[in-house]
Amino acid sequence: MPITITAPKPVQHPYADHDNSMSDSDSDSQSSMGDGGNNYKNVINMIKSESGSAAAAAAVTKKSGASPTSHSEIVTPGEVITDDPQWMRGHGTFVTPATSAIISSVAGTISRTNKLLSVRPLRARYTPEVGDLIVGRIVEVQAKRWRVDVGATQLASLPLSAINLPGGILRKRTETDELQIRTFFAEGDLLVAEVQQLFADGGAVLHTRSLKYGKLRNGVFVAVSGMGGGGGVVRSRRQVWTMEAANGGGQIDVALGVNGFVWISKHVETPPDLLEKTAGITNVEESVSATMYSSQNDRIEAETMREIARIRGVVTALVENGLRVDEDMVMRGYHEAVEMAMLSSAGPDDIYLGGERGQQLAAALTAI
Amino acid sequence: MASTQHALLSPAELAYLHASLSLTPPIRPDGRAANQFRPLAAETGILPGTNGSARICFADGTEAIVGVKAEVERTRRGDGGREDGVEYVSSRLEGDFVEGVSSGEGAIAAVDEADRVGESEWVELSVEIPGARDDDAGTVFLAAMLAEALLAGGEFAKKLWINRRFHWKLYLDILLISPPLSYPLPLLSLTTHLALLATRLPRLKSEGDEDPFFDDDWAAAPYLYARKDGKATARPPVSLLVMAVGNNIIFDPSKEELAVADVALAVSVGEETATTTAAEADEAQQQQQPLGRNLRLLSVRTIDPPSRLTPPGVPNATNSAYGAATTQKQPEARAAESEAVEGVWKAPRGGAKALVMAALVQKALMRGGVADEVLDALDAVDLVA
Repeated sequence: MPITITAPKPVQHPYADHDNSMSDSDSDSQSSMGDGGNNYKNVINMIKSESGSAAAAAAVTKKSGASPTSHSEIVTPGEVITDDPQWMRGHGTFVTPATSAIISSVAGTISRTNKLLSVRPLRARYTPEVGDLIVGRIVEVQAKRWRVDVGATQLASLPLSAINLPGGILRKRTETDELQIRTFFAEGDLLVAEVQQLFADGGAVLHTRSLKYGKLRNGVFVAVSGMGGGGGVVRSRRQVWTMEAANGGGQIDVALGVNGFVWISKHVETPPDLLEKTAGITNVEESVSATMYSSQNDRIEAETMREIARIRGVVTALVENGLRVDEDMVMRGYHEAVEMAMLSSAGPDDIYLGGERGQQLAAALTAI
Repeated sequence: MASTQHALLSPAELAYLHASLSLTPPIRPDGRAANQFRPLAAETGILPGTNGSARICFADGTEAIVGVKAEVERTRRGDGGREDGVEYVSSRLEGDFVEGVSSGEGAIAAVDEADRVGESEWVELSVEIPGARDDDAGTVFLAAMLAEALLAGGEFAKKLWINRRFHWKLYLDILLISPPLSYPLPLLSLTTHLALLATRLPRLKSEGDEDPFFDDDWAAAPYLYARKDGKATARPPVSLLVMAVGNNIIFDPSKEELAVADVALAVSVGEETATTTAAEADEAQQQQQPLGRNLRLLSVRTIDPPSRLTPPGVPNATNSAYGAATTQKQPEARAAESEAVEGVWKAPRGGAKALVMAALVQKALMRGGVADEVLDALDAVDLVA
């Protein structure tokens, strides 16, 4: 069947089943606070319960959060959350000078940490932080730097001085390098980099001064939401890893940018002829960085391409079903997907994970 | 031809996509089969103030709504006077590639059957794409393509005839309410299809050429597309986006797939009503089509694929930033276009192969083919008017 048409799903609260999956403590759990007087009552309720035992507090917030009749879990920009002065404003809120009312500045759900009220946005752009591993796309080439789209409010910049020169040579950047700037990165090129520095306005400066970083090839790109909505890429211990694919797919590299940009590619060792050429006193680092600016793909077998597409399907299925994307989830999802394909009528070559298949996959992952 | 908006992709990505889509069977980045559409959610009757409306949402988040409004309008006398000399514009296009019937509101497709005439001006179609101006070439082109398919053959305009002095004027407002994540033609076309199926016009009470007088009972209002046992007997056309990479034919391409297309076509397919002319019956027999759904090709438009504007990749052999052996002094920004090297992206040049084009249209139109299944699936959508 080439087309599936379903009736629209009834509206679901994005954080309805969120408590057990994301929050690490009870006091962090979502609480419902609505419009006008109602929310005020809720806050009072919480304050009262807070004076009691911690368990009671958790029970109250849980109850109000899970009540099916409350349609007001989501606040919109400009909505008054509370005008009680005892609460502190957190992210996603603001206070007007004249009053003490805390007003939401984004559309999202309220989260409460002790006396701190903050609003988690439903959708948000990526906010860079120093040390984040990101996948970005060059959108502009300037005289001494590139401008990189990283999914943030502003373009990040990558100075010419913050890249590794081919061959690992260490020297000052000259005019020749400036003229040849497009041979390193041109418009549209994808790269993996790290945030080195932040400006006061939130703009990021990147660097690729490591063998792990550089231009991307031999694979596919997929952009998922970085944060909000319950799903998306989360900061974790390892953002880049190499995995062994099933069905003879060989080794596959996965890079989950913290900004929600994901790169899935065939794992490539440095070609031996290049190793020979540069062998000697100079170390392996040089030969590795020599392939850094290549935009020629290696030969990729159909099996590898199929598994790459399957991993891409897993990532999109995770995001569509509001699950977090990290190494653990992707690996579990991938194994689940391989097993699902074994059982499907089309056999292990069936890599489609959209629509109902994706929901099945997500259900299998959350059930464990 | 309006070009689709430019997707910025790196040469390595393009080369990978092109390679995986040229395999047999093609491996699409989202794992779909070559003739598989993105899953979609559809509903009708969402706008109470309209005569018919529909909403379709793709899984990737693109969403469109269509509202149909009807108004009674006095037919200009000049039009009536033309009745004896009606211009016949042949719009039978079966089996042949014709570059459309007319360009948008061009020639009048009027067929005189049982004293009914329709004018293409009776339908006003407007497309709105967020972020694009109303008079943007791409938007105008989309609207023209949708209108062309709808008005082809003049059957649709004839439905709007009330009597010799009055007719319905139909306003179709097609709104894309998400940013255009992919070329929105199939989405807009499917939504328009559903909205028109759900459209009802008040029942006419007056007779003859007197001023029209309508039944105010909405429950009695007949559907614009007459239905029998809950199924429409005739259906509005659908436009499908089809593309080819190598010898593979791929339906409903996503943005990145379209970015490596050798050729992209918008194929509009209509359904012939049960009463076919003798000539058509002959043709149906020639194609061994049994009775049932008689698909008819209404128009084929080529869409300029964005792949032609993409920059070529640089092969390692000429890449001065590759390898330690940088002997060449090449300060130019980009190397000149080279011969095809495996793994290096090269934008497709030249037109489409005739054989691929023929296979493309054949695959869409075939009985039990994609268009057939799409219409079947749309049939299954519950209509609420």
